[in-house]
Amino acid sequence: MDSKEDIHNRLKAVLVELFEIEPAKITPEANLYQDLGIDSIDAIDLLLRLKELTGRKIQPETFKHVRTVADVTEAIHALQLSEAAAGSTAPPA
Amino acid sequence: MKLGRKLDYGWRLFGTAFSFACFGIGGVLLSLTLFPLIRLVSRDKDATRRRIQRAMRQSFRVFLWEMTFLGVISYEVSGGERLAQRGRLIVANHPSLIDVVLLIALLPEVDCIVKQALWRNPFLRWPVAWADYTPNSGSAEELVESAAAKLRAGRSLIVFPEGTRSVPGQPLQMQRGAARIALAAGVEILPVTIVCEPSTLTKAESWYHIPPRRPNWKLLVGDPLLAADYAPAGMPEALAARQLTQHFVNYFSDSTGAAARAGCGAGAAMASTCTMH
Repeated sequence: MDSKEDIHNRLKAVLVELFEIEPAKITPEANLYQDLGIDSIDAIDLLLRLKELTGRKIQPETFKHVRTVADVTEAIHALQLSEAAAGSTAPPA
Repeated sequence: MKLGRKLDYGWRLFGTAFSFACFGIGGVLLSLTLFPLIRLVSRDKDATRRRIQRAMRQSFRVFLWEMTFLGVISYEVSGGERLAQRGRLIVANHPSLIDVVLLIALLPEVDCIVKQALWRNPFLRWPVAWADYTPNSGSAEELVESAAAKLRAGRSLIVFPEGTRSVPGQPLQMQRGAARIALAAGVEILPVTIVCEPSTLTKAESWYHIPPRRPNWKLLVGDPLLAADYAPAGMPEALAARQLTQHFVNYFSDSTGAAARAGCGAGAAMASTCTMH
């Protein structure tokens, strides 16, 4: 189980690596599409990369409602919580 | 206003109204006659597509001839011989409503991406489907994949990276879908700069907002380029798409500026390569 801060920092690293977004712009409130210039195809790349990193698959359906960096952090955190509740606390392969 | 100019304006206003009517009525008539006939006599989907695409081209050529004949528009093409080769992604800026008409008329057989409204149009939905144009619906991922597959199969495709018509006087804003398609397909990109002087038929104008003098379109076909030249191997595709899109923005900002300044017909350097229509 990672804290939201851990998740945020990892997400930040991914956004910098994939899209070369200026780290200072990546605040929890930043809107992925308007503030960070991510488009719908980038969002798919982001989902794939997050899946590689966390071993957890965020459903594209869930991602449709995501607007800000904090929303992504929340979505990953919620996935981890639901998996912890289901007893699958094993680290991702 | 002098009488001559008044007459010229009135004539062009009439000609513009007539041309819009021709386009609308012609589109409906062709959708009820020529296009279904082509569909009926063609043996398979691919033969239908090619014939419909060629029929679209010929209809647009007639339409351009009509507008040129009436003196509503004029246009000139530089580097048009480069349009003959198939299997390329044609990337163009988008100053006016008739850019796609000009490009389809000039290219032998070409695919384009068609907005959702046309797929719901009771008349035009069939011809656009028979031409196997790419619908701008569903996910962005599907659109890129389907467009890239057509290019890899040797078909040509027109994409306007701006996604909609340019706003005059504003810096070009380009989306990254065109670059994504180019990267996924790996085919050559052919940039076509379109300059319309004076500006007309923009997103903000209705058909009757005609310019003070007859507008002239210049189409400048550039040198083909490869997406790979703007994206080193191993670079994440999202970054490559950003670099290639930035290249498009720089390229079209420079080329539209240069063309507007030089003037295609009048410019000394360009004069020899321009064909007037």
